[in-house]
Amino acid sequence: MRRVIHKIFWVWQLEKEQAWINEMASHGYSLEHAGRLTFEFEETEADLYTYKTLFLKGWADSEENRKYMKFLEEMGIKVVCFINYPGACWVYTRALKADYPDGIDLFSDIDSKINGMKAMSGYMIFVMAMTLFAALLNLWCAIGRDYFSPINFICSISMFVLFTLATIATVRIFVNMGKLKKERTIHE
Amino acid sequence: MPQLALTEAVFYILLSLQKPLHGYGIIQNVGELSNGRVKLAAGTLYGALNSLVEKGWIDALPENPESRKKEYVITKNGQAVLKEELDRLSELVDNGKRILGGN
Repeated sequence: MRRVIHKIFWVWQLEKEQAWINEMASHGYSLEHAGRLTFEFEETEADLYTYKTLFLKGWADSEENRKYMKFLEEMGIKVVCFINYPGACWVYTRALKADYPDGIDLFSDIDSKINGMKAMSGYMIFVMAMTLFAALLNLWCAIGRDYFSPINFICSISMFVLFTLATIATVRIFVNMGKLKKERTIHE
Repeated sequence: MPQLALTEAVFYILLSLQKPLHGYGIIQNVGELSNGRVKLAAGTLYGALNSLVEKGWIDALPENPESRKKEYVITKNGQAVLKEELDRLSELVDNGKRILGGN
């Protein structure tokens, strides 16, 4: 039986989204398709799959990303679906829980973890720049002209809120990256 | 300039590729060699294999049409690097044993 759930996760909530999908899988609902606001689950046995959401630079059908996804499939990690965004894509993968009882961990050393975070932080800076630009543009449209525009003002406030959330998420990534870099000075 | 130390992952990957292996085979072999201590993750392995191919330390073999899995094997350059790393590790172990009095 299919179950469709409408839910929003922002770009910086990759881990939260993944935890929710895995929780659904633990209750016997395995993700079959994800859209920007929609998640489609198929009823299966509980804990059949474990899921991992990936952030990749470039679109999912770029040559480099296709090669990477094929490699993951060789490892028993199958691509369920993906969503393309400007300059990046979100890829939903899964593997049999029996093969990956501790969940799918894609990075097993500090350097590769740092590289993964670098790619994510680069995209978050792009998101910050876009939301700040949209916030300032709407603010100018709201109060910088002869008349006050409430719609632009609301849009501007919304964009400032998104900018703030994106900034907090980016700072967290940089703090975690800093901790790993410090760790790398004594461990691999 | 002396060669920089290899990461544990790269050392075990080079050691595993004395014979042609595909990605999953490398992960299994590294696990066996290290008695389950080293668990290579798929993303880490993918990045390492690409870097090693670029450096010419391993070769990517033509895809097997039956399994559709790409296999890799160590090159002469890779063997030389591995030997140098083994000498470096031996030096570490010898010095450690000499100073701490182990055998």
